[in-house]
Amino acid sequence: MNQLVLNNTLFVFFLHKGYNRTIEKGQVMLNKEQLEYCLSECMKSEADFAEIYEELEHSETIKALSGKTEDVNQVITAGLGIRLYKDLQSVYAYTNDESEDAVAALIKDLTEALGTCDKEVHLSLDEVTYTNNNPVEIDYMSIPLEEKADLLKRANDAAFSADPRIVKVQSELLNVKQEVQIANTEGRLIKDVRVRTRMMVTAFAEENGNLQSGADRPGAGMGLEFYRTVTPEETGREAARVALVNLSAKDCPSGRMPVIIDNGFGGVIFHEACGHSLEATSVARNMSVFSGKLGTKIAADCVSAVDDGTIPNAWGSQNIDDEGNFQKRRVLIENGVLKSYMIDRLNARRMGTESTSSSRRQSYQFEPTSRMTNTFILPGEDSFEELFEGIERGLYAKKMGGGSVNPQTGEFNFAVNEGYLIENGKISYPVRGASLIGNGAEILKNIDRVCSNLKTGQGMCGSLSGSIPTDVGQPTIRVSSITVGGTANE
Amino acid sequence: MNKQKWINAAVQAGFESFEIYQQGKNERSWTWFEGKIDTFVTSRVLSTSLRGIYSGKMVNYATEDLSDDLMETIISSMKEQAGAITADEPGIIRSPQPVTEAQSQRTWVRPSAAQIKELLTEIEKRVLAYDERIFMVMREGWTEETETRSITNSLGMDLADAGTVQVLVCGAAAREGNDVKNAYRSEVIEDIAAFDRDAFVEKLCTEVLNKLNAAGLPSGTYPAIFESSAMTALFTAFSSMFSGELIAKGISPLRDKLNTPVFSELITVTDNPRRPEAAVAYAFDDEGCPTCAKTIVDHGVFRTILHNSQSASRMHTESTGNGFKDAASSPVGVHPVNCCIEPGEKSLDELCRDMKDGLVITDLAGLHAGINPVTTDFSLQCSGYTVKDGARERSVTLITVAGNFLDLLKQTAAVGNDLDWKHHTIVTPSIAFKGIAVSGE
Repeated sequence: MNQLVLNNTLFVFFLHKGYNRTIEKGQVMLNKEQLEYCLSECMKSEADFAEIYEELEHSETIKALSGKTEDVNQVITAGLGIRLYKDLQSVYAYTNDESEDAVAALIKDLTEALGTCDKEVHLSLDEVTYTNNNPVEIDYMSIPLEEKADLLKRANDAAFSADPRIVKVQSELLNVKQEVQIANTEGRLIKDVRVRTRMMVTAFAEENGNLQSGADRPGAGMGLEFYRTVTPEETGREAARVALVNLSAKDCPSGRMPVIIDNGFGGVIFHEACGHSLEATSVARNMSVFSGKLGTKIAADCVSAVDDGTIPNAWGSQNIDDEGNFQKRRVLIENGVLKSYMIDRLNARRMGTESTSSSRRQSYQFEPTSRMTNTFILPGEDSFEELFEGIERGLYAKKMGGGSVNPQTGEFNFAVNEGYLIENGKISYPVRGASLIGNGAEILKNIDRVCSNLKTGQGMCGSLSGSIPTDVGQPTIRVSSITVGGTANE
Repeated sequence: MNKQKWINAAVQAGFESFEIYQQGKNERSWTWFEGKIDTFVTSRVLSTSLRGIYSGKMVNYATEDLSDDLMETIISSMKEQAGAITADEPGIIRSPQPVTEAQSQRTWVRPSAAQIKELLTEIEKRVLAYDERIFMVMREGWTEETETRSITNSLGMDLADAGTVQVLVCGAAAREGNDVKNAYRSEVIEDIAAFDRDAFVEKLCTEVLNKLNAAGLPSGTYPAIFESSAMTALFTAFSSMFSGELIAKGISPLRDKLNTPVFSELITVTDNPRRPEAAVAYAFDDEGCPTCAKTIVDHGVFRTILHNSQSASRMHTESTGNGFKDAASSPVGVHPVNCCIEPGEKSLDELCRDMKDGLVITDLAGLHAGINPVTTDFSLQCSGYTVKDGARERSVTLITVAGNFLDLLKQTAAVGNDLDWKHHTIVTPSIAFKGIAVSGE
């Protein structure tokens, strides 16, 4: 009976209020009055807070093999998630059926889960407006597919032109436009449009039956104007260069040794070794090696690091986090001292503190939690050459792959996609098949040199709230001792 | 969604054939922390994926917005896609074929919310009471999911099936001095009433306690056994090597290797999406092709390439019914489903006794980054324990194992009998290898 009444009420309401139209013809988002009504219904329960997150995303992927466009896939993601808090308990429901019956059923599920009551909450939402920090010049949706496919053709041709040993080139162009609307019972209503583009090129080099690959995957939180500054030709040539290096690489030696990790995507070491362990998801429940360490020395003096979601048009930037708070620059470590964690709303309650605007999620199908944005070690004063001084035998990790970490133990790993052996202070020969492993708390103290050449690289970070775009970054650094996993035992 | 209306509109717009794939998912999940509900999540999601042949080209569009007034825009976008595709291979949408039902051995009994709360309370209590060194139960939760799948196309195909899964997950953390370790365990549960709680708690607690006081290991080459879960993870990471899609493109390590020895003769690999003992059984793949049992590697010799319709056409053969999607919105790829390395005769204990001295690897980390699917080189963080005189000696952590997967499989010493179909669609038993490079202290 309750469900029927609620459904009927909502039905009449929706019928009279109509829908707002947004990115695409057909899709709708709830308007202010509908949101106020739904949030009020949510509060007819023991909840002390409610939030509605709506999302409409269009994405397209164009794939090519050796110059021929093979696949195009376009996806519209459209749905909403409703979240209620009661103290430290959270209930969440999501659907892509935004009909009145479906939304009403979700609200009923959630309020019943927390306990219903008859309290009347009169809610008035105020829409917050702001200046877009991530403006887009060339909207990919306004450009014909064939023109976008031509960008891949340019990368392909540059890779093949690099060397006759390049035998195949796989390339992919990803464009995403995500529109979100967040409303909560604190009266906040706010919207954001996030646009990003990325080109991923893998070149394959072959010599005497030995097939090796190299890749480059630049991206940004902007439109297709990105490819004016980072040209497809550069990306194609870089992928080919790495594949050719790997053709002549020898097996990597193993054991503990000093390692120089290059700038850019090398910052994945900080992301894995430290970043995840500073997220409130782990910290709030004492499930991190860095729980309770605020204000204490956790890294060498030369290490300062930030997580900054405000960098205009960076890959991991957004105007607002996924709880509707304006993004911030968070100083995590200053001269080796832990200054801040990354905290979302629910974990802020658990920790008795404020959110740091660090809440993110892949889509409406994920409850948000604390995540990184653009995270990097700040520049130091050493020169690149100085880093090699005094190394009898070590590894120069020029191009890194991804990695992972167990925040509770601090044990992390990441892959080296392009590496060189260092002998007597000089680069000796390329090596392949290496990984680096260690303990985050220990490694941060073993960073003994930091260059001035800060650069960032783009990645997709997977965790509890899904896969999200994050920048990693650093200047070139030296770690005095770390375990290198290779195959050449001596 | 009025499917026929969309199909008619596409055909009228000039599509040679048009298909609508839908996947519905309803989910409820609870997580539990310190004696009470921590989170509750409920969801209802319907994903729709459209594909069609226009001017001979296959085009794709996935949408969660099914408004009929979006139909014209989407169909027009799909036609634009066809103009952008320059690859020569013609696209294929399948005509209907007879499909016989896949008989699953699973019988699901859906528990009440009260039963789930009682289970989560009880498991948490038992884990904390198991040993005083266990100080925390983490991410304990119950998830139940029902999934429906349907394929309807302009050539007369109209197929549908449904599946259910119920999973308990629990993590535990243990401390001794400054050493903290954790472990997670999941169990697919058909009926809570028949679930062996003691065995679950025993396995989880033993696993986390065994990790305490682990040390490194000197770098070197060691005889090693990959325990079933670690071997399953490694084999899964390289399973794309059997894909006709990658072989046709010339970027699989098994290109040009059909009917030649690729592994030790102790290794036989089979694939059967219909396998009744597996967690899920599929009578047809995601393009409506009937599934079947096949031997991919027979005593070390590569015998069968897996195909969907497109890759089969490229290599002038027939689909093997392995056209599955990564996600509802993805195009149809080529994936092994209910695929395994066939079990041998010996238990893990017997494999350890035969090895005498060596290393057992129980966990691998970094599989998404530390492998090269083209060369099959890998270098991965791992943990496990050493074996001395055939018995467990001490735990090891923060070491890496590195090598080449094809070479490793050629070095097989023995295949275990501990195959477990409960959790995954690709599984292996524990496997002993003559030697593997370890990097440690």
